[in-house]
Amino acid sequence: MKALRIEPTDNVAVVAQDTRAGDKLSYAGGEVVALEDIALGHKIAICDIAQGELVRKYGVPIGRALAPIAAGAFVHVHNLQDITEELCRQYVADFRKGGRA
Amino acid sequence: MNTIKAFPRADGSVGIRNIVLVISTVTCANTVTSHIAWKTGAVPLTHERGCVEGEQSYLRTMLALSTFAKHPNVAGVLIVGLGCEQIQALDLQVLIGQGKPVHTILIQEEGGSAEAEAKGCAIVQEMQQAAAKLQRVECPLSGLVVGVQCGGSDWTTAIAGNTVIGAMTDLVIQNGGSVLMSEVPGIPGCEHIVASRAVSREAGEQILTMVDELRADFLRTHGKPIEVVNPTPGNKAGGITTLVEKAMGNIKKMGTSPVQGVLTLGERPVKPGLWIVDNRANGPDPVNLAGFAMAGASATVFSTGRGSPVGSPVMPVVKLTGNPRTFAKMPGIIDFNAGVVVEGADIAETGKALYNLLLEVADGRPTQSERNGDYEFAIPYEETR
Repeated sequence: MKALRIEPTDNVAVVAQDTRAGDKLSYAGGEVVALEDIALGHKIAICDIAQGELVRKYGVPIGRALAPIAAGAFVHVHNLQDITEELCRQYVADFRKGGRA
Repeated sequence: MNTIKAFPRADGSVGIRNIVLVISTVTCANTVTSHIAWKTGAVPLTHERGCVEGEQSYLRTMLALSTFAKHPNVAGVLIVGLGCEQIQALDLQVLIGQGKPVHTILIQEEGGSAEAEAKGCAIVQEMQQAAAKLQRVECPLSGLVVGVQCGGSDWTTAIAGNTVIGAMTDLVIQNGGSVLMSEVPGIPGCEHIVASRAVSREAGEQILTMVDELRADFLRTHGKPIEVVNPTPGNKAGGITTLVEKAMGNIKKMGTSPVQGVLTLGERPVKPGLWIVDNRANGPDPVNLAGFAMAGASATVFSTGRGSPVGSPVMPVVKLTGNPRTFAKMPGIIDFNAGVVVEGADIAETGKALYNLLLEVADGRPTQSERNGDYEFAIPYEETR
């Protein structure tokens, strides 16, 4: 069974099939055992992620962990905070102040 | 550095095809236009405008028709008019200008449909014979301009289709070519990433100004900021948790290359590199494809999870899918299987294979959209600007 980890710095991968708790998934760079059922196309943590840590996919932060997330856990709206507005606003504010090239 | 075998044009651009384009000025001339194209194997450009248009709409129609005619892949043009319509064939001919053969016929002057078709076919065949004599020569990749797009998406599009396109994009740029990104309503939410790759402060300003306007447009249309509405319940059901995640799935097609700037519709890149085409028109996939053609894109690389036959009158469209089942089901409309990535293949290696296919297409290998004669054409009209 497969999961797709897109960039080496990512701490989540996308499961490539409907996955049951206990299934072992291989991805570029390793293996992970699912701790819970995860539907096709949804995310699985591939390492332990601390509460407040940035969750990375596509090589960029996509949000912040709302709780400690164990390797193999399902990652979605229940444990991943959307910080898009914060990331965009911070960048634009820095840019307008002349701080970003 | 890789090269392509292609056709250098009088205006300094490079064509990878020698298309004879038959352009209708108005809906009333569409059937005659289509008949001329079918009888000769030329490519028809038909549409639903050309008369009683408002000023803005008229200018946009003229811009689209003239930029398609000027496209580097077009070797000759026949304009088919009715005679009494708002878009006058001679005005369009003047706007297209010099550099390639451009002929006009009017149905009302020729004495009817059959007469116009007979004369039109003769003109087209003459241009086709002249075009067939042109020889491909070795050209640097600075002449290659590639649009990147996705449509008919599924769960594989962002993670397999678009990541593989992104790897290809970086190879095109490294080898001196150009890539065009558009689908700009999908950029808000990752403007911090796109702008951080701008080559200059000016380019960063262009990107952020565009996104400010897109965010304001969204608020006007939906009554709520984009973050409140996105990701949608459907996105979340499919596994997308955050807006930056959704937006990244779109802009992954840009790879990691620096962004040169933002082009308005009809504008061509002034130097090689990665550019954003600011096409905000809403509509089906051919609307976005048209924005690339209007910028002179040699070809477009298009990822489709569910499968799409879409093509262009002036560009080969290289279609790939990130879904192995879609590839197995629809090999007649899809050129490349990026679905190997969800089965464990390496993204960078698959992107290299896609790049190699792109170079073959540039050298003359026909895409499925060309074999099938898929010539979808839709003019980008914005409603809010």
